Amino acid sequence: MTDTIQTTSLLPGYRVLDLTSSMGALCGKMLRDLGMEVLKIEPPSGDPTRGEPPFAKGHAHGEGSLRFAYLNAGKRSATLDAAKPSGRKLLLDLVEWADVVVEDFAPGQLVQLGLGYEALIERQKKLILVSVSGFGQDGPYAHFKTTDIVGNAMGGLLYISGDPTMTPCNPPETQSYYYASLFAAYGVTLALWQRETRGIGAWIDASIQASMALHEHVAFNYSAEGRVMKRAGSQHQHNAPANLFQCKNGWISLFVTQNHWPILLKVWDNHDPELDDPKWINSNLRRQHADYINAQVTSFTSRFLKEDLAELMQKHGIPGLPVNSPSDFMKDPHIQARGFFAEVTHPVLGTFAQPGSPFMVDGKRGAPAPAPLLGQHNEEVYCRDLGMTETDLEVLTAQGVI
Amino acid sequence: MPSSNRILEGVRILAFTTGYAGPYAGRLLANYGAEVIKIESKKGGLDTFRHYGQHKDIDAAPRFIECNLGVRSMAINLKHPTGARLIRELAGKADAILQNFRPRVLDKLGLGDDVLRKANPKLVIVKLPGFGSEGPKSGYGTWGFNLTAFSGMTYLWNHPEQDRPIGSQGVYPDHLGFVMGPTLMVAALLNSRRTGKGVTVDLAQIEGTAYALGATYLETSVNSDDPKPKGNHYAVAAPHGCFACQGEDRWCVISVRDDNEWQSFCHVIGRPELVGDARFADAQSRLDHRAELNAIAQQWTESRSAEEVMNQLQAAGVPAGVVQTGADLLKDPQLRHRNYFASFGDSLIGPFEIPRSGILFQSMAEDPLRLPNRLGADNDQILGELLGYDQAAIEQWRAEEVLT
Repeated sequence: MTDTIQTTSLLPGYRVLDLTSSMGALCGKMLRDLGMEVLKIEPPSGDPTRGEPPFAKGHAHGEGSLRFAYLNAGKRSATLDAAKPSGRKLLLDLVEWADVVVEDFAPGQLVQLGLGYEALIERQKKLILVSVSGFGQDGPYAHFKTTDIVGNAMGGLLYISGDPTMTPCNPPETQSYYYASLFAAYGVTLALWQRETRGIGAWIDASIQASMALHEHVAFNYSAEGRVMKRAGSQHQHNAPANLFQCKNGWISLFVTQNHWPILLKVWDNHDPELDDPKWINSNLRRQHADYINAQVTSFTSRFLKEDLAELMQKHGIPGLPVNSPSDFMKDPHIQARGFFAEVTHPVLGTFAQPGSPFMVDGKRGAPAPAPLLGQHNEEVYCRDLGMTETDLEVLTAQGVI
Repeated sequence: MPSSNRILEGVRILAFTTGYAGPYAGRLLANYGAEVIKIESKKGGLDTFRHYGQHKDIDAAPRFIECNLGVRSMAINLKHPTGARLIRELAGKADAILQNFRPRVLDKLGLGDDVLRKANPKLVIVKLPGFGSEGPKSGYGTWGFNLTAFSGMTYLWNHPEQDRPIGSQGVYPDHLGFVMGPTLMVAALLNSRRTGKGVTVDLAQIEGTAYALGATYLETSVNSDDPKPKGNHYAVAAPHGCFACQGEDRWCVISVRDDNEWQSFCHVIGRPELVGDARFADAQSRLDHRAELNAIAQQWTESRSAEEVMNQLQAAGVPAGVVQTGADLLKDPQLRHRNYFASFGDSLIGPFEIPRSGILFQSMAEDPLRLPNRLGADNDQILGELLGYDQAAIEQWRAEEVLT
């Protein structure tokens, strides 16, 4: 590891065995960004995520998956067939080496492989096992199959997403996987604290559905107020104007509370004098008359370019930001100045800007690293970390275990 | 085995938080046993969520209660020199600071990192500013809603056929912030425990948002593409999407990835002849014909209840799920099985149930959640027991509007 990692790393020295495919991959990535050493274990045919788009141009399969490249950046990769007895034995040796195991198999599948929690803690008493699944390790839906949209649907986010006159709209990429993976990473830090203070390990059961179902007050609003939240486009439930508004060259996202409303009126030349009525300071009233307020605000916002209006709003302390495309975001001078994107070099993908860790430790960001090639670290892991000979490695490779 | 999940018992955190992400981060730490002391003031320092909704009592805002469960409350006027001094003294007795104010707000009140760390060299400081503490736009005011737009997520969160961005009313970046915040807090506490020194962690919520769009940005940086909205299309499944079912605004999602799921799907919908149809022979050809497949799925779902669609497909091993409303979530048998909802029989807003957490610790009892204390309710006890002040001093500060 470089010095930069040492000085910006919160949790150096901890070892993670990452058995996940795409569902739990972001958990291991977050643990890596926290400074842990993350070893990804793939079947000899490779993690199925390597076959998932988007792909780098000209590299439709194998090492060309950009999804894989992002979710596994900075991890090491070793291959292993856990269904073979000698593969299972190797995996248990690695469990002994690790502090944390992350997995996203269907509930019960690890037990079938003879690698359930009980089997693992026989080898490593204080092990932290974190399991990411659609609905949790047991219960009436534990056996349900999950994809991202199933997680968003069953967790309640999908129903409130999009325009009320259209089909509910799933968010981009696989947010329900990501969100449960981040909850799982929180669980790992809690379990490490417990291990340091109480001397015991833990098994954490992260559910995609449960992770999503605390979003946006959906369940709480119904329970506490009897209110079923519905799709409302980008119209915020408590505030107006709090929506997307048309500008000359696109859209701006504005969020105006009662504190901002009088300021907005000052900045807004030639507004309808009716809006000066002090009754409109009340956010609830503005929200009740959102159609009227939004139409008025659009007559103002449509005079500007979205970037200029955002700057004008921010100059007066009003939360307003342009609706960016992903490339707009990447080019933004603030994001550039903060060094969020940093260049990495990957043997197949070449040199490119990769999103970094989203936090700084004492003002410094961790060093970026590319995703591993399939089995790139086999020799290092099996010979250096587990002490196997090169002959052992060759035999296991020939047997298709590695 | 410990009897409860109060893993962070004994950890004391001072919280300077407002809105959604910061307070909820504190709540998730309190959830696991941390003592989280939230500091506000009627002198220009109340959590903005106290004003959301139709209530008169600032302690009775449903949104505030939701985001501050388990949190203790002090009312201290930070603009008064004595108030700022008391915070410095409290920092000497705390393990960590959690804050989501705009950058340098606390510095201007004489409560910058250096000052606080002088009171306590081991102090952990975790900040969750919208645009980060440094950089040309770090002074920008942002809500989660604006960050979604800035990151590119609002632009992408749309059906491809729309002529304008619609996005979602939600504040997804806040959710990312309030789960990453506690993660960083515990990681920083572990770090400090090991090094014996304090550490400052700064999570820019805009970068937290971008963390969940990494593959999309690589399409730009590796391929020079500008990715477009994909709506309910998923690159590895067809049929795939959200399908109207019987009843008003009832929907079920279906997601067919591989040949096994495809064959099961055909049998469940009573169309076994499709299994042998060359147009749908493998995953790639199904993707190429996804419009036809989605139409077939839609035809089957529209005369059935969403629950029936989900149960039949899941019984055959096909990913499917009801597009659940808040009402559905409260009666969901799986969430009930997880003991997911904490139940409050009585509160300032009446009885309610509320989600606990996305994770469970196996074989550990879930400690009951507590309601937030009323504004300033913990002033006397904390100033007395923790800092050793007598009642006369406390009364005097109340009169001087230090404690308000």
